[in-house]
Amino acid sequence: MNVELQVIGSALRAVADEMGAVLIRSAFSANIKERRDCSTAVFDEAGRMVAQAEHIPVHLGAMPDAVAAAMSLCLSPGEICILNDPYTGGTHLPDVTLVSRTALGFAVSRAHHADVGGMEPASLPAFSRELYQEGLIIPPTHLTDEVVRLFVANARNPDERRGDLRAQIAAHRLAERRIDELCERRGRERVSAAMAELYAYSERMVRAAIERLPDGRWEAEDVVEAVEGELAIRAAVEVDGDEIRIDFAGTAPQHPGNLNCPLAVTRSACYFVVRCLTEPDLPASGGAFEPVTVTAPERCLVNASPPAAVVAGNTETSSRIVDVVFRAFGEYAQGQGTMNNVALGNDRFTYYETIGGGQGACADADGPSAVHVAMSNTLSTPVEALELSYPVRVERWQLRQGSGGAGAHRGGDGVVRELRVLEDCRLSVLAERRARAPRGAAGGGDGAPGRTLVNGDEQPAKVTRQLRAGDVVRIETPGGGGYGRREPMT
Amino acid sequence: MQSTRVAILGVDVGGTFTDAVLLDGAQVRTAKVPTAARQEESVLAAARAVGATGVTRFAHGTTVVTNALLERSGARTAFVSNAGFEHLLQLRRQTRAHLYRLCEEQPQPLVPLERCHGVHGRLGPDGELEPLDLDTLPDLGDAEAVAVCLLFAFRDGSHERLVAEELRRRHPGVHVVASHEVAPEFREYERASTTVADAYLAPVAARYLRALAEGSHAAELPEPLVMLSSGGVASVAEAAAHPAAILVSGPAAGVVGAGLVARHAGFADAIAFDMGGTSTDVCLLPGGRAARVAERAVGGFPIRLPTVDVHTVGAGGGSLARRDAGGAIRVGPQSAGAHPGPACYGEGGGATVTDANLLLDRLPPELPGGLVLDRDAAARALGDLDPGAVVDVVNAEMLRALRVVSVERGHDPRDFALVAFGGAGPLHACALAEELGIEAVLVPEAAGVLSALGLVAGDERRDRVVSYVRPLAEVRDLPPDGEADLRYRGQSFELTVPLQDDLAAAFHRAHEERYGYADAEREIELVAVRSADVTPGPDVALHVTNRHKVEGPCLLELPGATCWVPDGWHGETSDDGTLVLTR
Repeated sequence: MNVELQVIGSALRAVADEMGAVLIRSAFSANIKERRDCSTAVFDEAGRMVAQAEHIPVHLGAMPDAVAAAMSLCLSPGEICILNDPYTGGTHLPDVTLVSRTALGFAVSRAHHADVGGMEPASLPAFSRELYQEGLIIPPTHLTDEVVRLFVANARNPDERRGDLRAQIAAHRLAERRIDELCERRGRERVSAAMAELYAYSERMVRAAIERLPDGRWEAEDVVEAVEGELAIRAAVEVDGDEIRIDFAGTAPQHPGNLNCPLAVTRSACYFVVRCLTEPDLPASGGAFEPVTVTAPERCLVNASPPAAVVAGNTETSSRIVDVVFRAFGEYAQGQGTMNNVALGNDRFTYYETIGGGQGACADADGPSAVHVAMSNTLSTPVEALELSYPVRVERWQLRQGSGGAGAHRGGDGVVRELRVLEDCRLSVLAERRARAPRGAAGGGDGAPGRTLVNGDEQPAKVTRQLRAGDVVRIETPGGGGYGRREPMT
Repeated sequence: MQSTRVAILGVDVGGTFTDAVLLDGAQVRTAKVPTAARQEESVLAAARAVGATGVTRFAHGTTVVTNALLERSGARTAFVSNAGFEHLLQLRRQTRAHLYRLCEEQPQPLVPLERCHGVHGRLGPDGELEPLDLDTLPDLGDAEAVAVCLLFAFRDGSHERLVAEELRRRHPGVHVVASHEVAPEFREYERASTTVADAYLAPVAARYLRALAEGSHAAELPEPLVMLSSGGVASVAEAAAHPAAILVSGPAAGVVGAGLVARHAGFADAIAFDMGGTSTDVCLLPGGRAARVAERAVGGFPIRLPTVDVHTVGAGGGSLARRDAGGAIRVGPQSAGAHPGPACYGEGGGATVTDANLLLDRLPPELPGGLVLDRDAAARALGDLDPGAVVDVVNAEMLRALRVVSVERGHDPRDFALVAFGGAGPLHACALAEELGIEAVLVPEAAGVLSALGLVAGDERRDRVVSYVRPLAEVRDLPPDGEADLRYRGQSFELTVPLQDDLAAAFHRAHEERYGYADAEREIELVAVRSADVTPGPDVALHVTNRHKVEGPCLLELPGATCWVPDGWHGETSDDGTLVLTR
């Protein structure tokens, strides 16, 4: 590779990283600033992703659709497009994406906002049946002061929303400045060539890695725990030379609840698995996914059409897609398989967190405990930060010892987290792996399934309900599966 | 004015060598000895080697506690938190070690699960929620040290104080540290992590510093002062009490030395660039003083204590270069180390940045120590790797680090001078300066022992932090000097602003500069005030011993380093011994 282009590529990656730092450090909601539920990226003129600051994998493959959607607006340099519509470039409504035109290509930021309106505080209703109930839908739209006013007027905490949006905008202004400087110093054509090379480089790397995988076609199946019963996800994975094809024929049709995924989210989950299996250390670039084709039947759970509700698809169904695709590739112990979404709120506050659990064990190592296992990697909110800002008291936060599956290598343990609410408010919990345990592999034991309790009473996997001041919500997150049979003691 | 003889000794212990600088009146003497397993012996050997007699001030930089943390050779430590929160150290902040390597291990906590305990009683943001019940405090078994971190102790240390008193009463020989004594700052995991490291290292630090103090006494040296991570020096007793504050002692000394060199050469603002064999440290020095941060990770553990804002990159002169499957040249993080070293050392090492520099004629055929470099071995190791490309790639890494500490912190590097030191710093500095638009590169005569020089000049410093986490408008009686950590209410990260009359206006300005916007309508929150008692270090005078006048392109051999002056650069040695290169 031409070294000058490699050097410029390093500068382009630095732009994406610096955008992320500005967004996190100047944001207002706990979800962005403490938990880093956001990503930033630099795209080229053709709308291809060349560099991304990765904080959580679910944003990985879903950003190019946002840029494609924004390009329809024909942005001028400095103009910003806002969108969150899962069916035109978005994922689920709380993920608000900004796309702006730079001197050469586009800058993108995506951040999970703690509330975008809809039927329940924190915009994570357990029982939404169509997208309209999940919040304000924003198709690709020029971001003007009027649009900001419209957006914040539809959210429960307008002041925080305005602050978070300003933090996103600040990240875009920074990217515009940095790309300007880079073009000035290196010349537009060289920067453009470097963008193309970053993309081509990651494609070459991943093709070479896929080539090393054995060719073949394998299938696997698993389920998500919908309110009306279990729904199947079926994947067929085919490795053919330096390409991978993943097809979801046989998956359940889209359902009247909110576990549906737009195809962009399904692609992200598939890309995640390919990343883990091929080039985990490669800097993120869209070229890595050129060799991967993802297909799914129309109007199915993993390729939903409007107006299907989707809020849990992004966090829960995506986790299960990862499990299924891994399982098709071979003996992989499953992790907690859920993000344990907990949302609390009334007309004075909204709070959202996701809780880590056990990672499945690997063939050569125990699974880590108390971590997010697949499509998320958000941080915990510190107890002191939570209690200083919200009418919530943390009563307990511990490892859930013994919840990881047994095996030659143990699955990671989940955690126990108890939140006492100090005001009357609404609770929503969107979780999975409450009925079915994360499976072990190669003879390893299963992890313990998760539990959700309110004042000691067990709740279903998906719940939205009223809480009184003093009520205690207890979440026990699943443990990961073990790997291999444990050798008898000698 | 009566003149008394002032002899100042600085000794810095590194992984391979221990450096000493003796400032005796107008004379500067330096010495290097190999680092022994017992660091106190190397310190005293270095002092002898440099001919230290009649020393009036003795300052020391040590890696003893850093090594103990990385090698896991600290004390058997217990941890006490609130009941229900015993596992704070294992839970961390819930992130995994690597996004795509799912079983990648995090560093094991310094305290194993079976020595993590809970005590009943709880403080909340507004005071006591449940009274403390010392009867629930379990037996600590054979622990040699205990760290206590209770929720909200950053605001109210009363429960922690009672727990610590009770533990000291029950276990008289055990070292007990409470979080509010070390790092009274908000966020329980980061505070607990700091407290645990402090307790874990205390017995090691006490043993070492006692041995060093005794050895110094026997050698008729004054009791040593110890370099803190914050770039000041403290007494042996202070360092032994809170060893977490000396975890970044070595790099801090180098940065102080760089600041000294820059100020003497007449440059107010500088960037320290210390490129060694396996890693490179860079640090911004606005006004010639090291920028500081409130927190830094050491060995994977957050340490919430004031630390010079050194940014470290895992690449240096000994980093191995290769071409990857995608055709890109990669440099580091693997390194050839001291053995076998770069290919040109003739010991069978792989292709390194040093080999590339040799093939580009930027290294002499023979090193000052007498080692003849094997050009053919370097060429064979590099094979089809273009040496110029290898240097360009490693420079790109360096550029990124230099941009992180300058541009990303809101400073224009063009206003700064680059102080180049470490074995490879002066080789790469001019090329980096060109990329960043920097006009002046400073190469100190003591480039090889700059950390020891920094020790000689270090201020005495006691850092203090007071936590507020309340609206700025409600706070009265701020100290006259120091720095305030401020944020808009609702934000999570603070900007540090020097204390001044209109603190609010200063914060709005700082926010605008850093993030591109300010919001005069929003309430400002004061998170913490950091202040320090500073007794300025000695006013060190530097003198030139070898004058050089150079015109690029050329090579200049310095004690312990080689300087490459590219085409278009020229310079000469100033009266204080620093080579000032300009374009």
